Amino acid sequence: MSALRSVFSRSRLRESRLSVPILALAVILLFDFVFVPGFFNLEIRDGHLFGSLVDILRNSTPTVALAIGMTLVIATGGVDLSVGAIMAIAASVACILIDPRIVGLNLQGDITAVVGDPTYSFVPIPIVIVASLAVAVVCGLWNGVLVSFGRIQPMVATLILMIAGRGIAQLITNSIKIIIFNDSFAFIGNGFIVLPFSLFIVVALFAGAWLLTRRTAIGLFVESVGISFRASLYSGINEKRIKLFAYAFCGFCAGVAALIAVSSIRTSDANQIGLYTELDAILAVVIGGTVLGAGGRFSLLGSLIGALVIQATQTSMYAIGVAASAITAVKAVMVIVVILLYSQQVQDLGRRIAGRLARRQAAA
Amino acid sequence: MMQTLRLRLGNSRKFLPVGATVALFAIAFLAGTLFFPAMRDGQSFFNLFITTPFLLILVVGEGLVIISGGIDLSVSGVLALTTVVTAALLRDGWDPWLVFGLMLGMGVLFGAVMGAFIAYLKVQPFIATLAGMWLARGLSFVISDSEIRIYDPLYRTLSGTRILIPGLADPVTKKGDYVTILVVVALLVLAVGMYIAHFTKFGRTIYAMGGNNGLNEQSARLMGLRVDRTKVQVYMLSGFCSALAGIAYSIYVGSGHGTHATGMELTTIAAVVIGGMALTGGEGYLLGGLFGVLITALIQSLIQFNGQLSSWWTSIVIGALMLVFIGVQSLLATLNARQLIAGRLGIAGRASTAGRGRRAFWRDRRVVVGAAAVVVLLVTVQVFGAQNGARGPGDAGTGCQLKPFRQDRATELMKGGAVIAYERNGGSSCVDELYAIYSDGRIVADNGTQTIEKQASPTEVEALLGAIDGLGWFTDNMYSTSEIQCGQCFTYYTAVSFKGVVKTVKAVDGGTAAPANYWLMTSRLSTILPKFGAGSQ
Repeated sequence: MSALRSVFSRSRLRESRLSVPILALAVILLFDFVFVPGFFNLEIRDGHLFGSLVDILRNSTPTVALAIGMTLVIATGGVDLSVGAIMAIAASVACILIDPRIVGLNLQGDITAVVGDPTYSFVPIPIVIVASLAVAVVCGLWNGVLVSFGRIQPMVATLILMIAGRGIAQLITNSIKIIIFNDSFAFIGNGFIVLPFSLFIVVALFAGAWLLTRRTAIGLFVESVGISFRASLYSGINEKRIKLFAYAFCGFCAGVAALIAVSSIRTSDANQIGLYTELDAILAVVIGGTVLGAGGRFSLLGSLIGALVIQATQTSMYAIGVAASAITAVKAVMVIVVILLYSQQVQDLGRRIAGRLARRQAAA
Repeated sequence: MMQTLRLRLGNSRKFLPVGATVALFAIAFLAGTLFFPAMRDGQSFFNLFITTPFLLILVVGEGLVIISGGIDLSVSGVLALTTVVTAALLRDGWDPWLVFGLMLGMGVLFGAVMGAFIAYLKVQPFIATLAGMWLARGLSFVISDSEIRIYDPLYRTLSGTRILIPGLADPVTKKGDYVTILVVVALLVLAVGMYIAHFTKFGRTIYAMGGNNGLNEQSARLMGLRVDRTKVQVYMLSGFCSALAGIAYSIYVGSGHGTHATGMELTTIAAVVIGGMALTGGEGYLLGGLFGVLITALIQSLIQFNGQLSSWWTSIVIGALMLVFIGVQSLLATLNARQLIAGRLGIAGRASTAGRGRRAFWRDRRVVVGAAAVVVLLVTVQVFGAQNGARGPGDAGTGCQLKPFRQDRATELMKGGAVIAYERNGGSSCVDELYAIYSDGRIVADNGTQTIEKQASPTEVEALLGAIDGLGWFTDNMYSTSEIQCGQCFTYYTAVSFKGVVKTVKAVDGGTAAPANYWLMTSRLSTILPKFGAGSQ
């Protein structure tokens, strides 16, 4: 009993960085419980689980994947603004490998015969996946090289790819929307094994990242580089390589997010895929309690919950009938609330008011 | 006087980024006039200003924020919100000048709230202004989901009045080179911004705060400067500029909508960086921002003049230029730091370490310098080179005349019994091809100078029509795109008649606005069409 009390003691909760994201998620789910009838209904159709909760999980998968990579980058004291652009590039590569004829390459043969053919792919699907992930890693490495070897401020270095990336993606697809008819590729984002298949991918990615950072020394190195790269250098850590790794891994995560996103909507649109997702990913990490701009301690689980908070908010707003275009205003309010929850100044103020109230009570 | 000037210009390295920007602009413009004769017209220079007054106003606000060590992502959001609120209020019959005043007040308020979050709650500028951007964009959609047109007479005056350039235009006939009122306003804003930055206490505090990873901010605080208050003020100023840019934008496009200027915060930041202001803060000049804006406008017009490159090359070139300028800045920062250390060690130490230091310095940066060089080379070859390849021997750089779009002729052909009429017009060699396919398999193609014919089998035509129908031609998924024709992009017009139904779709390439299946259709269609021989293109 006393052990239980110590786990749930107030100081413990206050110190845990997970308290804010969990609280935020709880508030949103409570809101849904009260205002959205049937929000928690789950049903099984054709052996697949359906329901708003499953939707939230499924729709959050690209953001979760991005947030995992972003957490490591932010923990090294940086930020990666280019993940949305990397998504667009990786998605374009995947589409062009599945159906290159559309942009005028290899125009022989009857196109309409394979339009709608669910088995057609120019190169085998595993190669498509490997190639687009590889391209995403290369993009991440580019950022990493600029940041670690070029000593350019992370926000500036990744801004370059953020601006140029969509242009490159359109260059790859010749700015044409490619529709993907291939069913096995679409399984990544649309498939179900009781639960959505993309969920398993993201869980595997999360488990991999967690093992890598918590069961090897890499996590420690990342934190130490984030706190002070100079001190890490003097204690024998190759800080450049650690940063390079963090950005490359972030690129890899963006590649995974791109595959999920492009296969679930079955269309590549270089202008739209991953648009503004870098902001969602950064927000998820910030909600999760990893401090932007400071580096050091990070929480992968916090970022995961942060991404769920964003998606849950979005889904709930749709559920109560807020227009899709106005959703950014709701997101902004959420950011402001989270900022206030984390702000040291607000916490101090709260403590001061609480203290004053207690004193007044004692006096009375 | 001379002494103060020398004192001000003392460290000439300070001016190198700005100098590089100005030089780059001059070189690119001269190269442009060399390759594209149409650019030799004086108006093409003034058009660089006419198309970007709102961007210049944004750059002034953003530049000051960046010099102070912050960043403002909300500029385009506040711009969009301003256009929507302005349009909505004008629709309800408000006085435009009152609306302008209200909007500027709203911008200042927006900036003040964000500044307060940043200065007093110690929120990262990135996060606070990101929230500001989302709030502004979201609010503009709450106010109106659809675009609101503006019909105010004042707007017509403000957007339509031409200010003739003295010496380059004839005041009597009102012909010649001109700029718009918005350009004058933007240049005035720039002048005021420069005055604030270089001749006021507020401006000096802004410079003192920025740079050196926040250490300068601490020093400024220790010197007794009112850092927090200045921070709030600088974001207020940026909010003011965003609102003013919003008014300018609504005058420029004549409407208000929440999607106006999507992503312009990135263009603004890029122009600031290309203008030689360091994103770390504390360095750079607002005047550089003007050239940053001009360079982004120049890239766009070069790509349009080139004609073969699609619009997305703009973002690639801007990205590459940013890489170069950031590289130059980081080089200079390291050089300055090295010189400072060498100076402290004394001349003797400097002489012995200078050579080694420089070598080590280049070794450290060879990856970045190499990458930058390769990227710039590739991009330059693309922008200027493509035109060279496409130019025929007899053209001597005059380019070709774009032929009129023969939509009416295509309609006539359809009336004449064709089942498919297909017009393809544009491109760098000014293609103008009109194809007509008849149900008996006869295909007639005409490119203005020659007519060729091809006989396909009726079953082939039948299969083609079935395929086009299968692509959803007669559904709402196939729609015309009303995109503005880019430079010399291809414009397509296709009319298909099948089972007694006729539907026509017009599309312009170079954008993703056209339906995806349209391009599937054109590639399917092109397999059956006859080819014009070499030389006639």
